[in-house]
Amino acid sequence: MEKTYIICVEDQREVLNTVLKDLEIFEGPFFLEGCESADEAEELLDELDAQGDYVGLMVCDHVMPGKSGVQLLIDVNKDGRFRHTKKLLLTGLATHQDTIEAINQAAIDRYIEKPWNVEILQKQARILLTRFLFDQGLNYEPFLPVLDKETVLERLRRMG
Amino acid sequence: MKKKTHLGAWLKPGISVLIPLLIAFMPAEWLHIPGITPVEQRVLALFVLAALFWILEPIPIFATSVLIIVLELILISNAGLQPMRQDATGAALPNLIDYREIMGTFASPVILLFLGGFFLAMSAVKFRLDQSLAAVLLRPFGQKPKRLLLGIMAITAVFSMFMSNTATTAMMLAVLAPVLPLFEPGDRGRVAFVLGVPFAANIGGIGTPIGTPPNAIALKYLTGENTIGFGQWMSFGVPLVLVLLLGIWLLLTTLYPARTPALELKFKTRFLRTPKAYIVYATFVVTVLLWLTDFWHGMNSYVVSMIPVAVFLSFGIIGKEDLKNISWDVLWLVAGGIALGLALEKSGLATRLVTLIPFSGLSAMTVLAVAALVGLVMANFMSNTGTANLLLPIVAALGTSGLALESTGGIAGIILGVTLSISLGMSLPISTPPNALAHAGGDIQTSDMARAGVIIGLAGLGIVFALIMILSGTGFFN
Repeated sequence: MEKTYIICVEDQREVLNTVLKDLEIFEGPFFLEGCESADEAEELLDELDAQGDYVGLMVCDHVMPGKSGVQLLIDVNKDGRFRHTKKLLLTGLATHQDTIEAINQAAIDRYIEKPWNVEILQKQARILLTRFLFDQGLNYEPFLPVLDKETVLERLRRMG
Repeated sequence: MKKKTHLGAWLKPGISVLIPLLIAFMPAEWLHIPGITPVEQRVLALFVLAALFWILEPIPIFATSVLIIVLELILISNAGLQPMRQDATGAALPNLIDYREIMGTFASPVILLFLGGFFLAMSAVKFRLDQSLAAVLLRPFGQKPKRLLLGIMAITAVFSMFMSNTATTAMMLAVLAPVLPLFEPGDRGRVAFVLGVPFAANIGGIGTPIGTPPNAIALKYLTGENTIGFGQWMSFGVPLVLVLLLGIWLLLTTLYPARTPALELKFKTRFLRTPKAYIVYATFVVTVLLWLTDFWHGMNSYVVSMIPVAVFLSFGIIGKEDLKNISWDVLWLVAGGIALGLALEKSGLATRLVTLIPFSGLSAMTVLAVAALVGLVMANFMSNTGTANLLLPIVAALGTSGLALESTGGIAGIILGVTLSISLGMSLPISTPPNALAHAGGDIQTSDMARAGVIIGLAGLGIVFALIMILSGTGFFN
């Protein structure tokens, strides 16, 4: 059975751990992975794709040594393999120009500023993961307990 | 621990594949079914495979349906694998099924009837007819929780006669979501509201032939002199829905009375007034009217169901992208059931199995009671369509068993009774997708659902029996 992953990219170990802890509620139906750099994330993306697994959501910091978070998301956005992957930028240090790029070129789905509110992060992740499942055409039922109910109802209503 | 889950992962597919293989390859005399032919033995193995796959779900239920169709084509069709078409001596086997007939199940009239229903529902949702209509229809019910619940349940039931039970539940639960927090803490009335929607959707499916897939499967077996038209179905379906709905409303308001004095539902939508929206409204009304007046214009419900398909495609109301969103899984799930029924009937296995049951001394009502109870129990634990797929071909074969069927108005009465009972299975979150949605909201416990659901199932069975008695007494089946 293919797994659906949530990938968090953040260069500071402690911050990464906090993000992962905040998103722990999704673990079980979804799988959680942390990366400390864009390179590591790209390697993981390749690996998961090669296994036939899905990446439902990427939660990305912007300012990191090496490739920036926005650049990573731009590359993911161009990559047909991750067409339905949802992208959340989690940063306190993006400039105006970075933000414009993130919207126009990376087509990010959400922008959350650091320091973040746990509930807002969880709620937005919930919505994005729900959208991913329906966009990807996966069976929502096993994931139901951790999905955004409003989004599920709206998508199901649309099917008539 | 890890090893155990690994074993568990293989257990379901293992059992589901091994037992049918065993049946297919064991010497025929071990089966203790006198006179069974090689083709019948294969059909028996397929039937057991279908049952295990639909109950244990090692693969999605619609995939099982397609698997059945493909296995039938290979194993028991006249264009199947060469060695499967001859016996040990090389002579051609009798009773092989025409491959065109097996493939034809994908486009069987009842499948196209459902396709027409899907087109109506999809375009209604696309043009927000569902929400606008719900807003208008709910207004007269006011803000008192008890009456408002009746209104919500009535509208849910009516909508689910034409939309899928799942989509109807999704829409009404979404309408309900903003008002649930308005209940005072500890007010059990909230449970009544959250349960009322899925229950009404499950029940509403009974109302029309396109309300829920088991109805379609029943229509497949109600042929020849037993044919039931769209309007005829509604003539008993709608009153039955009304009675059940009132009963459920009384039950829920008694079990979970609301203390909150008033609730207000807010709708944002208004009726769209674009030319396309008007085409949708008009097509909806005309199609339903044509369904109800088949005796006058001569087109049966299957032919009528193709009209909205043509209209919506011609006017670009349903486009290429919408086509992809049609629930092909539901259509194929039903097609597999029809193919299974076809194999059971054409091979002669259904008739042979039925002769094995000692019916002497049993009345038709007893048989109906047993079959309906089996259907109700199965439907509580597995998909309603899967239950109908397995049960109805066997039930339909009872017509040839020599059982005295006067009391139920012939075999049609038993087929209908079982079909209606299947829609009464709603005591668990896994019973139906509407139940699962309501449970996922977190406002109710499984025990809340079970308590009301078991009462509805058992009382509902009684009401269905009464209906069949009334129908047969008034000569409906003649």
